[in-house]
Amino acid sequence: MSGPVFMSFPVTATSHTLAEYRARGGYAALERALREMTPAQVGAQAKASGLQGRGGAGFQTGLKWEFVSKDAPVVYLCCNIDEGEPGTFKDRWILEHSPHQLLEGMLFAAYALRVRHAFAYIRGEFDLPLRRLQGALDEARAAGLLGENVCGSGFSCDIVLHRGAGAYVCGEESSLINSLEGKKGFPRNKPPFPAVRGLYQKPTVVNNVETLATVPWIMTHGAAAYAEMGIKKTPGTRLFGVSGHVEQPGLFERPTGYPLAQLIMQDAGGILGGRKLKAVIPGGSSTPILTAAEIEGLTLDPESMTRAGSMVGSGAVIVIAEGTCMVRLLQVLSRFYAHESCGQCTPCREGTDWMNRILERIVAGQGTAADLATLRRLPTGIMGNTVCALGDAASMPVVSFIKKFGHEFEHFVTHGRSLHDGRLAP
Amino acid sequence: MSTTGIKLTIDQREIEARPGETVLQAARRNGVDIPHFCYHDKLSIAGSCRICLVKVNNLPKLQPACNLAAAPNMIVETNVEQVQKAREDVLQFLLVNHPLDCGICDKAGECRLQDYQHKYGPAQSISRDPKHHKRKLHDLGPRITLDNERCILCSRCVRFTREISRTNALGIVERGNHSYVEAQVPGQFDDPYSDNVIDLCPTGALLSRDFLYKCRVWFLQPIRSVCTGCARGCSIKSWKRMNVRQQHMPGAAPGNAAYRTTARENPAINGPWLCNKGYDQHTWMSRERVPHPLVDGAPATVGEAMAKRLLSTARNPAVLVSTHASNEELDVLQAVLGAVPAYPHRDWLPVAGEVVEDNLLIRADKNPNRRGVVARFGDQEFDPAAGHDLVVVWGEVSTPLPLGATRWIHLTPFGTPSERPAAVVLPVSNTYERQGTFTNFEGTLNAFEPLFEKPAHAQHAADVFRSLAS
Repeated sequence: MSGPVFMSFPVTATSHTLAEYRARGGYAALERALREMTPAQVGAQAKASGLQGRGGAGFQTGLKWEFVSKDAPVVYLCCNIDEGEPGTFKDRWILEHSPHQLLEGMLFAAYALRVRHAFAYIRGEFDLPLRRLQGALDEARAAGLLGENVCGSGFSCDIVLHRGAGAYVCGEESSLINSLEGKKGFPRNKPPFPAVRGLYQKPTVVNNVETLATVPWIMTHGAAAYAEMGIKKTPGTRLFGVSGHVEQPGLFERPTGYPLAQLIMQDAGGILGGRKLKAVIPGGSSTPILTAAEIEGLTLDPESMTRAGSMVGSGAVIVIAEGTCMVRLLQVLSRFYAHESCGQCTPCREGTDWMNRILERIVAGQGTAADLATLRRLPTGIMGNTVCALGDAASMPVVSFIKKFGHEFEHFVTHGRSLHDGRLAP
Repeated sequence: MSTTGIKLTIDQREIEARPGETVLQAARRNGVDIPHFCYHDKLSIAGSCRICLVKVNNLPKLQPACNLAAAPNMIVETNVEQVQKAREDVLQFLLVNHPLDCGICDKAGECRLQDYQHKYGPAQSISRDPKHHKRKLHDLGPRITLDNERCILCSRCVRFTREISRTNALGIVERGNHSYVEAQVPGQFDDPYSDNVIDLCPTGALLSRDFLYKCRVWFLQPIRSVCTGCARGCSIKSWKRMNVRQQHMPGAAPGNAAYRTTARENPAINGPWLCNKGYDQHTWMSRERVPHPLVDGAPATVGEAMAKRLLSTARNPAVLVSTHASNEELDVLQAVLGAVPAYPHRDWLPVAGEVVEDNLLIRADKNPNRRGVVARFGDQEFDPAAGHDLVVVWGEVSTPLPLGATRWIHLTPFGTPSERPAAVVLPVSNTYERQGTFTNFEGTLNAFEPLFEKPAHAQHAADVFRSLAS
């Protein structure tokens, strides 16, 4: 058995409802598992499937679940719906068109981890996804799929929907937990990891939407079927959001190991107006940029991407056509990170803002060669020295842009203007 | 202490950490200096300043020493090139928007940021960006002013109000580079322990309004002293001008002004903390003194002779013993007292608006040595009906005494107004002018040293008693 995990149905105005989800075979696996399987068996299935986290870090989901102590009296599950990585729009599609798939996945995870209260932390900017998820929760509760005694199995689990207040950093699991607790969204120092001490100081598992929404498919079709899809080491399918200078931007579900060039040139309809490809940011704005030459023969799996010096990240492919000014593009990205740095730890708080100010100056035509040298040095003081990964995320584009498009930066500081006039090359 | 120490290596030195200790704590206890801004012994770990990064077990990524549990066979490097660069970078980041105004900053000379910059910082800034401007001299409350430009957001002050004084009066608002410390009710930071945050602040961001621009700290010397504000008897440092300096505070007698009071760490009594009344000790110790011996309210040089005569003619005298007296003075009094009955005297009672008692430091008994007095003279209260015809009152009289028409002799350092003047008033030295010990309410002895010579017109109470007894 192989096939799409998500895009297996035609999207209609009602495809998000419980009735249609059930018609697609939804919740059947859950009902069967609650009757026939032990929590440990569910966990073992998830592990056997080789499913990896889809939030960006790509950690083994089954392993993450295993880290939680079997003797812990209280365990919490959080679904991370704080999808804020620039370029990423996969979780929002799931919530808008198949929210019950996520709920079913959460119930599977809750059952495997013996969770009584699960939390769905949704980003504050989401509107339709929030309403769809709330609607799905109401439907599920009315149908006895949530709350006390799910499907008459004796297993009880409730899902609390929590709306964030618009902070990118709350997509980091420990700041998500702080935010859920009602505190400021500051990431925590690790160790302890959430699996040991997370929400309300209890063991907590934080999973991405796509990760959890994949679980029902695994439970329906079996771990072996899932492990057969894509490449062996990191099996399954992934949702790739292609945006930028392509003819048909959108969300594509493809097996892992899918060629990046094919995704851009065929599936997304090629570069806008038949122009030439300049560069690709392959996994959300934090991942190092790749030049057109580098993506030749590159496949969308962690191994191949690491070899090229980048990451699959959150599967957000940002395509950049020839003619784009990389200096200005980097300034847009760095402004984002300076704005979203939480301000807790020194290198990120001061460094992101400093890099942004230098880039602002360069873009304004006031930059010097010394500025460029500073810009090269600053990321070395930030990367690896911060509490969470935001410092690294803000630094990686700076490092990779300057490394790969250094001549554009040098042109900007020597001539006070961009190498490109802002129009895409014909 | 457990016998199972954790053996680890810091900078090629074998050291033993106690179970539960972090690398930073173990290093500090063993004399290895790892710089830190946000870490404080008595506060929770924030791990946010990132200057304590060290290299552990040769891992590529540096670890914050403050949040790293010491583990067996751990190899910690605090002085390798990678660590030095990380420190330089952190200081570079902290200083990119920090004003270079040490010349007019009260903290200069005892500033952690200044010290670390000299010790670990880069020789030159690579920044050519104009510094961000933020609010300066922003009053958090009546006592404390905040310079947002100097703040490095270490959150020590915030954690103090959360974890120690438990008022939650401070917080960090906004996000990222624009965040700043603000009082819960802006302008009304009136925590009874608020002044501790001035000492906690590793830079010159939080400043005392009382001490603001009064003196460079390197002209001051701390004298080991004890707070006389309540029965806790906290250890303090009283800061006075160093003797070599002739300058003095406007309006104060040369050399006789204490400029400020800060906490002196004493785990047996107050830990590192002190209440605001303690921080104000130097202000209430500069109350008006009794300028001369007085006889029937008029200045006289024969005060002591008069007191002697009154005592020799009295049938049934009594002594009210000052609870601000040192144990050594009490011993002298006890030795010369003979059969004269003595009662403890409450020099001070709580005054309106003052915190009477709390769970942290402040005690309801506002006198530092009642326990010492009670140990020597018992705790029987003075009974006006006992028929004493002369009472020697030693110590200030903050509330009227039930003396009726009885004549009384008053030994006091300060000119406290009294409803009915004493027959004889003899000026004596105050705590700043003598040395000795107090016994606090828990029975802990605490010694203090003199800041100044006593004024010529005043005598040490012990000398007065010896003279009266002879």
